[in-house]
Amino acid sequence: MIKPLHIALLAVLILLGCQPKASRKTVGKLNVVTTTGMIADVVKNVGKDSVTVTALMGPGVDPHLYKATQGDLARLQQADIIFYNGLHLEGKMGEVFEKLERIKTVIPVARGIEKNLLLDSPVYQGTYDPHIWFDVSLWSQTIVEVTNTLIEARPENRDYFIANAEALRRQFAELHEWVTEQIQTIPPTKRIMITAHDAFSYFGRAYGLEVRGLQGISTLSEFGLKDRVDLINFIVEKQINAVFVETSVSEKNIKAIVEGCEQKGHEVKIGGSLFSDAMGAAGTPEGTYLGMVRANVKTIVEALK
Amino acid sequence: MDAFYIILTATLFAISCGLLGCFLILRKMAMVGDAISHAVLPGIVIAFLLTGTRDSFEMILGAALIGIFSTFLIEFFHHKARLQTDAAIGVTFTWLFALGVILISVFAGQVDLDQECVLYGEIAYVPIDLWIGDNGTIFGPRALYVAAMTLIVNVAFIRIGFKQLHLTTFDPAFAATIGVSVSLWNYLLMGAVSMTTVAAFDSVGAILVVALLVGPAAIAYLLTDRFQTMMIITVFVAIVSSALGYYLAVWVDGSIAGAIVTIIGILFGITFLFSPGHGVLMKKRLQRKEAQRLKTEAPLS
Repeated sequence: MIKPLHIALLAVLILLGCQPKASRKTVGKLNVVTTTGMIADVVKNVGKDSVTVTALMGPGVDPHLYKATQGDLARLQQADIIFYNGLHLEGKMGEVFEKLERIKTVIPVARGIEKNLLLDSPVYQGTYDPHIWFDVSLWSQTIVEVTNTLIEARPENRDYFIANAEALRRQFAELHEWVTEQIQTIPPTKRIMITAHDAFSYFGRAYGLEVRGLQGISTLSEFGLKDRVDLINFIVEKQINAVFVETSVSEKNIKAIVEGCEQKGHEVKIGGSLFSDAMGAAGTPEGTYLGMVRANVKTIVEALK
Repeated sequence: MDAFYIILTATLFAISCGLLGCFLILRKMAMVGDAISHAVLPGIVIAFLLTGTRDSFEMILGAALIGIFSTFLIEFFHHKARLQTDAAIGVTFTWLFALGVILISVFAGQVDLDQECVLYGEIAYVPIDLWIGDNGTIFGPRALYVAAMTLIVNVAFIRIGFKQLHLTTFDPAFAATIGVSVSLWNYLLMGAVSMTTVAAFDSVGAILVVALLVGPAAIAYLLTDRFQTMMIITVFVAIVSSALGYYLAVWVDGSIAGAIVTIIGILFGITFLFSPGHGVLMKKRLQRKEAQRLKTEAPLS
């Protein structure tokens, strides 16, 4: 019992003197690592061919339940810049990033957004809703943070980054307008969205939809029977014809709601699957931010019209 | 250096958990680690409701207090209500977990709050979760210090209280007659267990801790009948599985905690089959030999 312990303790003492190597100077492409695919998309569009971007969370991954692999650690260590969402989307991983900020370029993209535009919890000040990418105009603000960071790392590419960022901002502005127009085509009384978990509050606020989630933001907040009955009554009363499932959340609960409505004689269909916390597979149109938002809006408009 | 930090942190926690696990297995309380991993939920929620933050420190404090409370409850039900230990553990942690779920639904449904995202750490982040001094000096991975401190406290506790712990584990009735308080040492052991598990949850995640409490000690249990030998084997298994597990994770680019637990499982399977004293195959062989002997001897008689 004693010997292995002594060896272990000795190793600790040796370690106390050690310090990690200074980050190596990189030439050529900037190596950027992001947590979600949505951030990776912004970085790709601003940095274009001067960056290589890796997103840790792949398509269909729920950021709340994400588990890092051994390879992820290597990717984080080798990154020149790390972008993450912030606002506690990444849970404890976000706390690690916060500390890492002092010795590495680690940027929460949500930092660039004015606090008064964020949705705060009504009861607990400072616990913001992290799903900021659903309001295109809000997400557009993260471009500034990304661009400034890239310029700092590669000052010689300044004009290139600014031109790319400007182009991306125009695309986002067009998209924002397109989404607004599309939602306007839904009759005002039908602009109600029922989703599996509360990820679409920003979307609802930006484009004038009432959003109801079956589940709270936390995956553990199972809603009670009364909430379920209330929601079913709400759907029947407002004659809502579609509810939505999400690619990264189980559809079991939302199906229970559909069945509940059927028992009350109101037919409600599952309007389709929305991309909420993760984008579609790489290579498909939904694998980019623009494509993902378009796909979501198309699904919503078709189902609610 | 990353590999070294991760393996060392895992090893230190594995030794702490393994040593405690030896006592827990013999007291039929091996699943108390799993119980604590669930029971801490209300602690987290209450800590959040009181402080309004989801920072690690407050979360760990809340979790640790509830962890100790839950082990006390288990002891209480076991002794005062004469419930079997497994039933006492089962009742306590499901009740506390349910309490936590209700608290979240009622008070904090709009806040992302559960053990997964505010308490459980990830062993892959050990090398980048650094302890940085106020003047910017880097002192190395934070989890490594926590792991080393936990191990020192545990080793000191077991060395000082070894005789009493040993006695109350194997022969509580005799311990009581010679004036060793069985319940006091029970509470002390449970306190050490909840402190260790909560510290380890924060650094390396939950599954790993639960497995480390049971796995290495169970393997050692199959290999020996002597308690001291069991502890030595446990420490050895803890070291081997941490290192092998890390390299398995490198090989498949998977979760490190998952890989370490897989290795423990494989080691347990091998031991279960081939252990000289308790192994299934060895027992079969002994039985066959015995049958052979009877057969060859039968005609003579």
